[in-house]
Amino acid sequence: MKHEIRDEKDAIVVALEGDVDLQSSPDARKVLLDCVGRKRPVLVDLSAVGYIDSSGVASLVESLQTAKKSGNTLVLVAVSEGAMRVLQLARLDKVFTICDTVEDGLKQVRQ
Amino acid sequence: MRKRQSVSVSDASLPAGGGAGQAGHPIYDHLELLAAMGQDFASSGDIEASLKRAVEHITEYLDAEGGALFLLDDKGETLRCHACIGPTEITGLTLKCDQGIVGRCVQNEIGEIVRDVTKDAGFHAGVDEQTGFTTRSILCAPMSVKDQRIGAIELINKRGGDGLFEESDLHLLQAMSASAALAIHNARQAEALVEQERIARELELAAEIQRSLLPEAGADDYPVAGVNHAARTVSGDFYDFFPLDDGRICFTLGDVSGKGMNAALMMAKTASLYRCLGKTVRQPGRLMARINAEICETTTRGMFVTMVGGIYDPSTGIVRFANAGHEPPLFHDAEDNFHALPAEAPPLGISPALVDGLEFPETELKLDGGTLYIFTDGVTEGYLEDGRELEVGGLKRLIRENAALNVKGKLNAVIDCVDRGDAALRDDLTLLAIDDAVPLDLRTSGGSVAVEKTPQDTLKAAEEEEILLSLTVPSQADRLKLIRNAVSETARFCGCDKDVCRDIVIAVDEACQNVIRHAYGGSPNGEISLEIIRRSDALVFLLRDFAESIDVSSVKPRDLDDIRPGGLGTHFMREVMDDVQFMPPPADGGNLLRMVKKLSKGPENET
Repeated sequence: MKHEIRDEKDAIVVALEGDVDLQSSPDARKVLLDCVGRKRPVLVDLSAVGYIDSSGVASLVESLQTAKKSGNTLVLVAVSEGAMRVLQLARLDKVFTICDTVEDGLKQVRQ
Repeated sequence: MRKRQSVSVSDASLPAGGGAGQAGHPIYDHLELLAAMGQDFASSGDIEASLKRAVEHITEYLDAEGGALFLLDDKGETLRCHACIGPTEITGLTLKCDQGIVGRCVQNEIGEIVRDVTKDAGFHAGVDEQTGFTTRSILCAPMSVKDQRIGAIELINKRGGDGLFEESDLHLLQAMSASAALAIHNARQAEALVEQERIARELELAAEIQRSLLPEAGADDYPVAGVNHAARTVSGDFYDFFPLDDGRICFTLGDVSGKGMNAALMMAKTASLYRCLGKTVRQPGRLMARINAEICETTTRGMFVTMVGGIYDPSTGIVRFANAGHEPPLFHDAEDNFHALPAEAPPLGISPALVDGLEFPETELKLDGGTLYIFTDGVTEGYLEDGRELEVGGLKRLIRENAALNVKGKLNAVIDCVDRGDAALRDDLTLLAIDDAVPLDLRTSGGSVAVEKTPQDTLKAAEEEEILLSLTVPSQADRLKLIRNAVSETARFCGCDKDVCRDIVIAVDEACQNVIRHAYGGSPNGEISLEIIRRSDALVFLLRDFAESIDVSSVKPRDLDDIRPGGLGTHFMREVMDDVQFMPPPADGGNLLRMVKKLSKGPENET
């Protein structure tokens, strides 16, 4: 798994790429929690995530909870088909705010 | 005034001629009143209302200002006013059982006339102080039936004449009190009877629920059968048997210490635990340990359960069972020899620490056409027609004599000797038999019994099974991608569409993760073997590890309403697959997980 972080005006956009599985989810968790810790809205771009497993989903949930606790926002954007299926299986598709594109996500956090 | 010259009750039986009093009030006035009261008590369903009417009539008839009826409570400690008439309402007032004149009257069981209460030290002035009423004189008669104190009727302040009660008033009040006492006594007995009937009905309901916990009898050629005759309405004994999906039959028989309702409840609990856990925990020793732990955790002090639980495989004739402090089962082999198989572990519910390690010791036995009998001591200690106990010797004799019968016939032959229906049973009779004679025939014909799936299905599936993929990888997280790719390709090869492939990959990946994280505890030195088998209608994934066997019940789907990180994997597996099950552990240890994904019918499956 690779990741890329860029600072936009209204949010930090973190793009994960590749498989977020048992092997890589500890890294994903660290990256996500670091971003959430910066007290700015976080968009997680999942467009290039081919596979995400329960441990990856758990990292997302933990990050969302951490963000909410500090009054921060975490939005999932451009969720790939594979990742969406896992979120649906976990019934988490209603728990996360999910936007189709990064732009929609930025609009969302500006509101 | 007319009543003042009335005749005392003892005189009421005088010849009719004495009936007419000087004032022209016939003696049967108060007889009539008594009769009317008696009839009212007898016909009324509402004893309280009848008492109230009685007090009204008595007060009026004896021309008093007020009247009250007091009843002793169940413990005989307090007197409570149940009915009252007059200027002050004291219904509900309670006094200590010896308080006041009414208390004294009840305690001594002697009626009293107190002409001037101010001169009576026993008078309880508290009520007057509260009500503002002035009590001058009191007439009080106790109510009792067969030396059992019930209460008293008290009249206050005679209206007419000199305002004083007379001896004849007391006699009359005593007669009326006796009538009221009898009515109350009868009403209470009727109430007790109703209560008894209610309890009997509830017991019958409990018994019905208990019977529903016993399994339904199988077909005549089903190899396992049981019978239970309760000595009382409810029973502390139980038995159960049910088929497992692999064709084996899980069975049990147990006996809860003690009798009656508490034993019955304990029986219900143990039987339910067995049936529930028996479907997933496939090793009898481990299953018994689980039930023991559960019972120890919640049991009432001093109660325990002796129990045999095991699994019979009709295709091999092999029985594996664990015996927790129960009577030794009897094995009647095909050569007509008997073998007793004594318990090697204490009863359930004594102590979780009594058993070494985590499992109860198991006994394995090849029935080879013989029959295994498991029974409670109610059978061997049951009385025969001549008054002697059946004993194990008698049981063996009956078993021998009836060896030719089918399994139900064998059981009934024994039970009929002990429960002849002519006398109450000494103890619950429970007997279970596993008869290997039937499966022996089936073994030669290659069939299988007692499987929920039809035998044809099993055979058909077996014929068309094909191992598509078999791979073994180390228990390392970086190998999961290999497995995912292999699974994805295999599913695609079998014609699964993109979504199904993706779902299958999720389930298998999560199952492998469970092995790495839980079975091997993160150690990279283990091995994971995956086998993918294609059947005509399904893909079967067999995932094997070589770690210590895990507690299957701890691997259950999580409650998704409670969204916390972690633990979602099992849920994914169950969501995606049509069947997810831990199979009986392989002989050389480890865990075997089987997941089945049904294939949708269609031409694409052939590609």
